[in-house]
Amino acid sequence: MYIELHSRSAFSFLEGSSLPEELAGVCAQLSMPAMALLDRDGVYGAPRFHLAAKKLGVRAHIGAEITFSPQRHRDTEGIEELKNEECRMKCEQPTTDTERRTSSPPMNADQRGSGSIHHSSFSIHHWHRNSRLETRNSAGHRPLTTDHCARLPLLAASRAAYQNLCRLITRMKMRGPKDAPPEQIAATADDLAEFSQGLVCLTGDEHGPLAAALARGGIEQGRRAVELLIHIFGRENVYVELQRHFHREQEARNQAAVEIACSLGLPLLATNGVSYASPARGVGDGSHAISEREVLDVFTCLRHHRTLDTAGRLLARNGERYVKSPQEMARLFADLPRAIAATEELSSRLEFTLNDLGYEFPRYPVPEGENMMSFLRQRTEEGFRERYGRATRDLRQRAKRQIERELALIEKLDLSGYFLIVWDIVSFCRQQRILVQGRGSAANSAVCYSLGITAVDPVGMDLLFERFLSEERGEWPDIDLDLPSGDQRERAIQYVYERYSQRGAAMTANVITYRGRLAAREMGKVLGFDTETLDRLSGLVGSWEYKDPSDTLERQFGQAGFDLCHPRMRKYFELCLAVQDLPRHLGQHSGGMVICQGQLDSVVPLEPASMPGRVVVQWDKEDCADLGIIKVDLLGLGMMAVLEDCLHLIPEHYGEEVDLAHLPPDDPEVYSVLQKADTIGMFQIESRAQMSCLPRLRPANFYDIVVQVAIIRPGPIVGEMVNPYIKRRQGREPLHYPHPSLEPVLARTLGVPLFQEQLLRMAMIAAGFTGGEAEELRRAFGFKRSEARMRDIEVKLRAGMQRNGITPEAQEEIIHSITSFALYGFPESHAASFALLAYASAYLKTHYLAAFTAALLNNQPMGFYSPATIVKDAQRHGLKIKPIDVMKSDWLCTVEQWPVAGSQLPVEQSALSSQHSATVPSALGSRPSADCSRGSVIPSESEPSLRGEDESRDLALDFSPQTDADQRGSGAICQSAIGNRQFSRNLTLETRNSVRLGLRYVKGLREEAARAIVRQRSQRPFTSIDDLARHVPELRKNELVTLAQIGALNSVTTVQWHRRDALWQVERAARAAGPLLEGIAERDSASPLARMSNEERLVADFRGTGLTVGRHPMAYRRVQLRGVQRACDLQNIKHGRRVRIAGSIIARQRPGTARGFVFLSLEDETGIANAIITPDLFEKNRLLLIREQFLLIEGTLQNLDHVLSVKANRVLPLQVSSAEIASHDFH
Amino acid sequence: MPFACIFVPDFPVEAVVRAEPRLREQALAVLAGKPPLVKVFAVNEKARDCGVEPGMTKLQAEASSEVALRPRSLLQEAAAHAALLDGAQSFSPRVEDTAADTVILDLAGLERLFGAVAGIARDLARRIADLGLEANVAVAANPDAAMHAARGFPGITVIPNGKEAERLGDLPVDVLLGNFRSQESGKQKPDVQDKDQRALEILATLDRWGVRNCRTLAALPEVALSERLGQAGLRLQKMARGTTGRSLLASEPALDFEEAVELEYPVELLEPLAFLLNRLLEQLCARLSARALATNELRLRLELQNSPQRHGDTEKIDDFEIDDCRLKNQKTNSSSRMNADERGSESIPHSSFINHPFSRNSKLETHDFTDNWQPTTDNCSLYARALHLPLPMLNPKTFLKLLQLELQAHPPGAPVNKVWLAAEPVRPRAAQAGLFLPLSPEPEKLELTLARLAGVVGKTRAGSPEVLDTHRPENFRLRHFAPAAPRQKMEMPERPGALTALRLFRPALRASVLMHAGAPVRITAAIQPEVRGEIVWSAGPWHASGEWWKEDAWAREEWDVILQNETGAALYRLYRNASSGQWFVEGTYD
Repeated sequence: MYIELHSRSAFSFLEGSSLPEELAGVCAQLSMPAMALLDRDGVYGAPRFHLAAKKLGVRAHIGAEITFSPQRHRDTEGIEELKNEECRMKCEQPTTDTERRTSSPPMNADQRGSGSIHHSSFSIHHWHRNSRLETRNSAGHRPLTTDHCARLPLLAASRAAYQNLCRLITRMKMRGPKDAPPEQIAATADDLAEFSQGLVCLTGDEHGPLAAALARGGIEQGRRAVELLIHIFGRENVYVELQRHFHREQEARNQAAVEIACSLGLPLLATNGVSYASPARGVGDGSHAISEREVLDVFTCLRHHRTLDTAGRLLARNGERYVKSPQEMARLFADLPRAIAATEELSSRLEFTLNDLGYEFPRYPVPEGENMMSFLRQRTEEGFRERYGRATRDLRQRAKRQIERELALIEKLDLSGYFLIVWDIVSFCRQQRILVQGRGSAANSAVCYSLGITAVDPVGMDLLFERFLSEERGEWPDIDLDLPSGDQRERAIQYVYERYSQRGAAMTANVITYRGRLAAREMGKVLGFDTETLDRLSGLVGSWEYKDPSDTLERQFGQAGFDLCHPRMRKYFELCLAVQDLPRHLGQHSGGMVICQGQLDSVVPLEPASMPGRVVVQWDKEDCADLGIIKVDLLGLGMMAVLEDCLHLIPEHYGEEVDLAHLPPDDPEVYSVLQKADTIGMFQIESRAQMSCLPRLRPANFYDIVVQVAIIRPGPIVGEMVNPYIKRRQGREPLHYPHPSLEPVLARTLGVPLFQEQLLRMAMIAAGFTGGEAEELRRAFGFKRSEARMRDIEVKLRAGMQRNGITPEAQEEIIHSITSFALYGFPESHAASFALLAYASAYLKTHYLAAFTAALLNNQPMGFYSPATIVKDAQRHGLKIKPIDVMKSDWLCTVEQWPVAGSQLPVEQSALSSQHSATVPSALGSRPSADCSRGSVIPSESEPSLRGEDESRDLALDFSPQTDADQRGSGAICQSAIGNRQFSRNLTLETRNSVRLGLRYVKGLREEAARAIVRQRSQRPFTSIDDLARHVPELRKNELVTLAQIGALNSVTTVQWHRRDALWQVERAARAAGPLLEGIAERDSASPLARMSNEERLVADFRGTGLTVGRHPMAYRRVQLRGVQRACDLQNIKHGRRVRIAGSIIARQRPGTARGFVFLSLEDETGIANAIITPDLFEKNRLLLIREQFLLIEGTLQNLDHVLSVKANRVLPLQVSSAEIASHDFH
Repeated sequence: MPFACIFVPDFPVEAVVRAEPRLREQALAVLAGKPPLVKVFAVNEKARDCGVEPGMTKLQAEASSEVALRPRSLLQEAAAHAALLDGAQSFSPRVEDTAADTVILDLAGLERLFGAVAGIARDLARRIADLGLEANVAVAANPDAAMHAARGFPGITVIPNGKEAERLGDLPVDVLLGNFRSQESGKQKPDVQDKDQRALEILATLDRWGVRNCRTLAALPEVALSERLGQAGLRLQKMARGTTGRSLLASEPALDFEEAVELEYPVELLEPLAFLLNRLLEQLCARLSARALATNELRLRLELQNSPQRHGDTEKIDDFEIDDCRLKNQKTNSSSRMNADERGSESIPHSSFINHPFSRNSKLETHDFTDNWQPTTDNCSLYARALHLPLPMLNPKTFLKLLQLELQAHPPGAPVNKVWLAAEPVRPRAAQAGLFLPLSPEPEKLELTLARLAGVVGKTRAGSPEVLDTHRPENFRLRHFAPAAPRQKMEMPERPGALTALRLFRPALRASVLMHAGAPVRITAAIQPEVRGEIVWSAGPWHASGEWWKEDAWAREEWDVILQNETGAALYRLYRNASSGQWFVEGTYD
């Protein structure tokens, strides 16, 4: 029997082309009882290999190919001897090996040794005792060992060996930065000696130390290399490896290896040096097959930064590195049967598997006299008093019972340490005033709630604890903590590192795999396509969620002008498909951390992450979970950062304290806003789909928000539960339960299952499942769904329902609910946690718009809308957004006081009254005109027509005559505004909060330069652009130009000027003045240049900042758009009327659940209108709909329940502006 | 002192139309690039109206059925450019060869000959149209103003003296950029990119300033402009005002070395043809010698009578199949100054080679010999060959011998009516062999020997071998032989191991091989009787394959075998071509 003991998977990153599962699968097919996976310098693929092999009944041996440099420091006797030998060699031959290799002309294959594979002991070329063999790799003829680095295959025979291997790899990896070249981190003989216990060593293939030594110094040198390995690992742990890939030179090496093995009394071991599972793989729909060797060749090119045409002999010579059957291997080694027999013998020695990982979660240090459980109990009781102290007696009692039940289970499962560690992190965050909130299923736990980990009362909301933790599942619980993204989260992460040491905690990895664009780009590079073609090809790989059957890649290629019939293009296409899902490199998971009792590096190798101070394990979070390693997710949530920023901004600018834990729960203004779907910028409820649901659902209390968060999910949508729920809520459909017994579970969602907990409870009630069984059901239908598992569960479910007397029809209904829902539904606890954030964001936006908007802009990118849309939305709500100004802007957006003439209403309040309308307050701060129907465009006070050019001296300009020619385009509106301003001189001044855009919005401006501006400005205001350029030498010319283009330099000088004046001045300021004039600052003066037109300003704004605080581009075209309704007009038009709408496209969506329908969001100066594009119309106008920035859409208005959308039947391009407006596409 | 500028818009398209006048009224796109990345290189106005733009792929362009597609032809462009120069030189002796699509003439004094400048401009346009090109013609007081007007205004433009700024005022500033670039970049090649970059930066700055036409640029204050854009900005402003005062960089009249003879009776044999060629060669060499020149390229063109089917050795030149290395070898001459970036990849349709006069500009492609053949009229066809020499020569006997060898290898195949012969003039070789260098054959003799060899074995089979980096066996190619400079003797490292030499059979011997239990047991090579017999020992198989991404992917299986026959035992290498299944004996081991 032959067992493959040397194979690499695609987790060797560009050195193998099959997934571990594929290797295990082939192994099982070939009836091979075991197999070893040795990825390069890591055990990256080991968990997947182990789990796949376990399922297939194959023993998975674990090892790694270690980069080894015997020439590095050594202190053992045998090594010393080798050193002497090397000195001797150097004396004999003064050139270095490298020099030798480069100066020697390459030999022909015929000049090198040749051996026999085919049953012959005769060799054409005899291996001479001192002859040197030019080592050539399987991928070519070139010497593979660089700087004396070889690859040493090591196999873990025991748990201790595995731990040694992990520590050895960790030591190597931590030697250099992430992605350090192998030579830099190579293991030394000392390293190997230190961690050699239990490890079995093979002499390696053409990359191995034996081959390297043979190449350097012939058979004697080879023997010494093997002796060194014997010295390190012990004679019984060294096997002389033989591979046969039908190469002559490999056979010559084999003969030398056999001779060395005989002379040293070492066993021979046959392997095939596997790099892929099978000779070919089917790709795409299976109609194409591509050789695995081809994929490996492509990877080789990528590793060496070559194209296929220039890679030459780096590529494989043939395709023999697949998993060969025992029979095939026996035939290959018919002359050396002992090499085959040794595989079985060695396999039997390798006792270690990943079942025996030895992971232990760290014990939390508790005071003397306590144990972890008693300590946890105390902390829980303290929390209980705080959380439920003022609750009703009934709730308190229920909560107490629940907590007792949970604590009992926690004790039984020995999880107290885990809860204490999470509690410890949360406590740290609270002490440091870092917002933190547990999410996910942890919110189902009353213990978590009591410990302050979560913010939702699971007892009060009657949440199902089993969704979080159950005895049957045999899994660790999963607690995810949401933290403000950015520095605060980093502080929490660093706290964990500090507390558990660098070797005790690490981030989980995130394996970056080949997906559409990455595959398209890299395959094109390898085939030698030029940059333009690469851009075009990778652009083809859209991320439309929906794929209609005709939307094949062939068709997309054809549309983009590429002919798939051309062989090279066809090969490109096949390669793109073949590499899908193969790992490319290791990244870092956004927040998953694993912690270990003792040394984590003996459980899994650790590596440095690209971020300084971070360490990452070699497994991703799924692998960690699969192997029973507990992780804590410290997730960065943009909205948490927004909320936290608001907590600082509000006291400072509003003089009020806000406590997120004690927000008024039933604020009518908030619900009013939600019911109008005026939710741009709010957490989870801002998307187009959410907005179209809100006016129908009309949330009136917190639980409605929980439902709202959960209902717009693929699960409820695919399960067709949205409409029944809304209809029942609106009283248009009677309540109905699949079975009367389910009424208690489904009553609060009106008979429609919306949450995962309901699904679990349905199974428990209807089919008599235990909590654990129900959770098993959810997982069976979850992300990792398997047909067989689902069938088994379904049978069990039906049997249970049958027992409980549920009719077949009801059974069908229940099963349909479960199967369609389980995949994408939210747990109720998770929805509740998110609903808290949604409510908080709605509350802050409603009451503290300036602070909320500033915080939202400072934490972009996040959410559904671009900053441009957020700014326009805030302006429509009456908030003044001031432009970037080097004399006033900080790096971040700030809240500024804005003096205005006597206003009767606070701006936020006035905004509330005009929500969802296009109205904005006038320059006087008077109540905003709500009359959109008059058809006139009323400019926002933040729009430039009222403020003079570029809004930079906002206060002065608000009361000064309009002088800026750039604003002349505003016509009559400007005139009336000026009139108003003159009138306002007699009014009293008040202040309002406004938002000043920060310098972070200047594209291309480095933070370092921006901060230098702020620093210098605080010492002395700039007097001219020349002065600015002199005092902030960090500023580069292109940065100055951008600042000038967006009007950020307009207020530097005291004279009235415009952006072109600044541009004119910048051009001189950026030129070196020469030594004579160096100390003399130039004064700014007006330029001979014309002011920018509105269009030019728009283009400059969007190009320089991605947004404009001026008028919306559509406002400039409104006069010409006769018969086109504005977004705000639609609500007054009856359902079914034909309408025309127009605007800039801010979002294009083609959800997978919408059967090919496309949803467009068009923004104009009054708001956002939605359009629905049928699949047919989309096909007819594909390019138009994808490429155009502005569209005019004609169709039928759907005005149902105050939800407005236009079902399009005609689409026209619209020339409005050439400004590049970002669109959020293809969700 | 008036100057006229002739500018041909969409020049690559015009060059194609000139060769195929029937395309004049059609939407036409010119393609360039290597498959599968063929893209639209240039289009005419009608094609633009159909939505075809440069940069589109061929497939996209094909979507518009009204647009005719033609491959780009440097040859046609060179010819069109030569015609442009000819047209200009027929009016004035002082002509500047500004760019492929632009020439400028000095009209000083021509009024007496041809009348008013407006009339001259009209005549120029007519003359260029007669040459098959549609051009804009502009007349102004200085060359730059004339050029900018020609590039910016369609048809004929005459700018009265002193009205330059006014007339040029409406032109976009980027019209100035071409000329600005050429002047800024000067002759220093390494600076060209930097200067181009600088020009683009200035253009970007002007765009930011809102300065988009010449009038606005002309109105900017000079000192302030100079403070901001330096001298480059001032020069650009002068161009915008039409006040630059540069002198014309008049090109020398083309060195046209072409001889022809029209025969009273068709010549059918090579010998009398050689006699004629000898006469022509002597004339050519005499003319070259008189101007102290030599030649490195001879072009022969024959008009054949009633051309029958061309025999099989005509080199087929497929559309898009001409690779870059040929283009790199292409030499520029004084009369065809194509910018490097205008060359790109060339596609030469069969029809385009010889349907215009065999002129000095008819750049044929760059193999040592190239041939073209195509019927031109009902009764005759053309035969053309180009002879490229590795170094300048001036020996009519050598030339004659080379031409004879070429004609023997590629006979015209029909009686010859007319003979044209042209020589590419170049400076003669001025090198002297080193005193201590080993003797080597005279270059002329060496060239003759190589030509003879190539005539016998084929031109791809003679030269210096160059090893290629590939697993493919026989991994070398032959480059044109050129004696290398003597190298230091390289110290070969001692290789104490046993080395075995393999002597290759070229070509490999086809063989039939009997297999048993997966190994060869008997072999029979048809051609060499000694390679036949029982195999007493074998080693293998050795598998190799590669270049799977190309159409000529290969795979083979090799064996080393000992063959026992009556003559004794010998060690051979066999291989089986995996795609054909055919066995070959590749060589024998020493």
